[in-house]
Amino acid sequence: MLEKMAGEAISGAFNQETVVGSNPPVVKKKRNLPGNPDPEAEVIALSPKTLMATNRFLCEICGKGFQRDQNLQLHRRGHNLPWKLRQRTSKEPKKRVYVCPEKTCVHHHPSRALGDLTGIKKHFCRKHGEKKWKCEKCSKRYAVQSDWKAHSKTCGTREYRCDCGTLFSRRDSFITHRAFCEALAEETARVTAAYKMNNANAGNISYPFMGTSLRSNMVQHFSSVFKPIPSSNGAMDQTRPGLSLWMDQESQTNQAMSNNLTELHQMGSSSIGTVYADPFSNPPHTDYQVNWAFGNKLSSTNAGELTSTTPPLTNLKEVGSPRLASAPSLYSTQHYHHQLPPAIMSATALLQKAAEIGATSTNPSFLESYGLKCNNNQIQDGNKYNDLFSPSLIPTNLGSDLDNSVRDLTTLNHLQMYPRKRPKTLNDDAEEGQTRDFLGVGVQTICPSSINGWI
Amino acid sequence: MFQPVRAPHQDHHKSPIMDTTLYTAKLPYLIYSIQPGNGQSGMRSSSNQQLPVISQTSTCSLSSESGDPCGSAKWAASLLRECAKAISEKDSTKIHHLLWMLNELASAYGDCEQKLASLFLQALFCKATETGERCYKILTSVTEKSRSFESVRKMMLKFQEVSPWTSFGHVASNGAILEAFDGGSKLHIIDISNTFCTQWPTLLEALATRSDETPRLKLTVVTTVSMEKSVMKEIRQRMEKFARLMGVPFEFQVVSELSRLAELTKEELGVQEDEAVAVNCIGALRRINVKDRDAVVRMIHSLGPRVVTVVEEEADFTSSSMDDQFVKCFDECLRFYSLFYEMLEESFSTTSNERLMLERECSRSILSVLGCDGEVEVDVGDEESEIRERGRQWSQRLRKEAFSLVGFSDDVVDDVKALLKRYRAGWSLVLAQGDDDSAGLYLTWKEEPVVWVSAWKP
Repeated sequence: MLEKMAGEAISGAFNQETVVGSNPPVVKKKRNLPGNPDPEAEVIALSPKTLMATNRFLCEICGKGFQRDQNLQLHRRGHNLPWKLRQRTSKEPKKRVYVCPEKTCVHHHPSRALGDLTGIKKHFCRKHGEKKWKCEKCSKRYAVQSDWKAHSKTCGTREYRCDCGTLFSRRDSFITHRAFCEALAEETARVTAAYKMNNANAGNISYPFMGTSLRSNMVQHFSSVFKPIPSSNGAMDQTRPGLSLWMDQESQTNQAMSNNLTELHQMGSSSIGTVYADPFSNPPHTDYQVNWAFGNKLSSTNAGELTSTTPPLTNLKEVGSPRLASAPSLYSTQHYHHQLPPAIMSATALLQKAAEIGATSTNPSFLESYGLKCNNNQIQDGNKYNDLFSPSLIPTNLGSDLDNSVRDLTTLNHLQMYPRKRPKTLNDDAEEGQTRDFLGVGVQTICPSSINGWI
Repeated sequence: MFQPVRAPHQDHHKSPIMDTTLYTAKLPYLIYSIQPGNGQSGMRSSSNQQLPVISQTSTCSLSSESGDPCGSAKWAASLLRECAKAISEKDSTKIHHLLWMLNELASAYGDCEQKLASLFLQALFCKATETGERCYKILTSVTEKSRSFESVRKMMLKFQEVSPWTSFGHVASNGAILEAFDGGSKLHIIDISNTFCTQWPTLLEALATRSDETPRLKLTVVTTVSMEKSVMKEIRQRMEKFARLMGVPFEFQVVSELSRLAELTKEELGVQEDEAVAVNCIGALRRINVKDRDAVVRMIHSLGPRVVTVVEEEADFTSSSMDDQFVKCFDECLRFYSLFYEMLEESFSTTSNERLMLERECSRSILSVLGCDGEVEVDVGDEESEIRERGRQWSQRLRKEAFSLVGFSDDVVDDVKALLKRYRAGWSLVLAQGDDDSAGLYLTWKEEPVVWVSAWKP
């Protein structure tokens, strides 16, 4: 598996920093990065013929050949050897690494040799071999039989669900449908095909998947632009039951989230451009979120200004991807909640993001605006919130502020039933009282259990 | 199914001029009377009195001609052939009688036989009354008004879901195009098709996932059919959005000011020097007037494309324009459309709107071929044709204009085979083999080749 990663996706992309396999403590035998072998190991270069020979390990007693050393040892036991001869002939065998016989291959050089014989065999087949194994259903070809078997098990079992609700068993008809579907006209750019490729269950909740998909598709690619929800309906379902759902997962996924968002930024801006392209093509959906997020950029105490849709929206549109990249939460927010009333959307998303996003450095604007929401006192110090929103901490420092906004949510949950409110709502409520934030609902404490979930 | 005893109706035939209400009962859009003197004046009263006799003889002759024990099962074919023969012989009494019978038995909403009868009845009627062009125009405007992006979308997608008739050509063409484009960074596809861009989402997806460097794609859609122009706007939006979703830099342009495909020029298409060009013709070449076909192929050659993919239905209607060949052409039409209708019947559910839409399209097409001598001048200079040629014939034309065949790679053939597996039984793939003129792949339905696809390079 590691060799596979080395050979295909990661070769060249990562340097000596290991991604997996080197985290465990020293007690375990240290595994080198695939393709970067132990310098003291003995380098073996086999010819293609020898490499592909199936029975390299021969029993000295009966001459039977085996594919693997372990199998040979097992076999030797059956010969009832006296104890002395039972031991392996040499001392702890010198570590062996193998180079690929193909000259043009990156693993041909001893410094990039692979440590496992089976691994090098598979690599050679996959990269340089003839693809003899073919899937019946989708005609995909494989050089290694085990790859083919693994694929055949899952091929055709995947189901694809369009946002409009239709289920497809065939990928091509799903794609064609998707391109013409009504749902496409409304929704923001989401990865569907790639998402479906990565995940068997179309309708699952997004959090755990965010980690896997983003990590596994690091290349600049639409497939790596992962959208939190498979479908907007899914989002609704997740948020309606209340915060408990995501709160439970918060602890597990926070770390993943922060990593992911960092990765999200590292992706090419073109990807993000894609990501953000659609939301902003639909002003009715987006004006609210935009206002909200960029509220802090305007004179924030004046809620009226916040409701004016044109300036921030224009800003956003003109700026293009780099600026957009600074507000991933904004995007995700819209994405999640474009069907919910904007006011409610803001708060819910806000709190969700707070829980999810550990890496506060990636979204200062978000935090500032959150701070803004909590109370009308300008909380200018984003850093304070940076700490607060780190995964392990609960923003207890916010104290009443948090309580206020958190309480907000219960009311908000009720309000989810109502149709989307227009900017007018924001206006009205913001004018009033002290702790009224511009979300337009009373800022009150949410049920204590929710707070505890944060703590 | 024949109902020889029709005493009440026979009275109608005594009138000098055929009472057209009989016909218009099922053909509400036709308001013309049949001129009984189609090339053969007769003593109408005497001929009318002969009708009962004729009907008996024709009944007998028909059933004996059909040959099989359940002779009435495929009644439509025999009746229709008889009628076509009568028309070519200008035997007006027989024409009347058969048309009348067909009218009674046909139904656009019945079983396969009834539908076929209905389909051809209209064309035959128009041929007999020489009202084809007017009828065609009426049908065209009716279709235009009743169509919308929604209805077209549903029709195409449903059709592709239940039958590989169009997706066969799509998969093969996309495969050939992708292979020809391999490595290019600026791609330009010129699309002259009748499938409303349903081919391109899968290609876009392939472009996005296959290569590390996603190339730029420019798609130029050429349309002359008036009803396509109106839905193009919606299609443009969807394509652009989808390309964004896929992360493929995309440009969509429509060439729609032409009234005929023969007017297409290199300049109109906006081909640039550094682009890799592919021309995709699905059901397109047959829409060119027969006399202009070679010229258009030549023009395509002049674009210097990497690959030209051609998908056409396997039928030969070229004899339609010749007077004495009417029956021959008719037989071929009957053969082809019988297959098509049968395929529709077995693929769709019984009460499918999409199927009805497709069938109506067929009736327009048939009317154009049979009722209008092949080429209809819808407006001045705006001609549409539906004269199909077989793969072999198209290959000859392409070779004549210095195109050479590009074989489909094993991967593409495998993809097509895998595609066919996803549909019901009855479909299979046949590679063209044999002499020089054969080329490409054939989709067969119950062993009969129905669709042909091939790829060419200059």
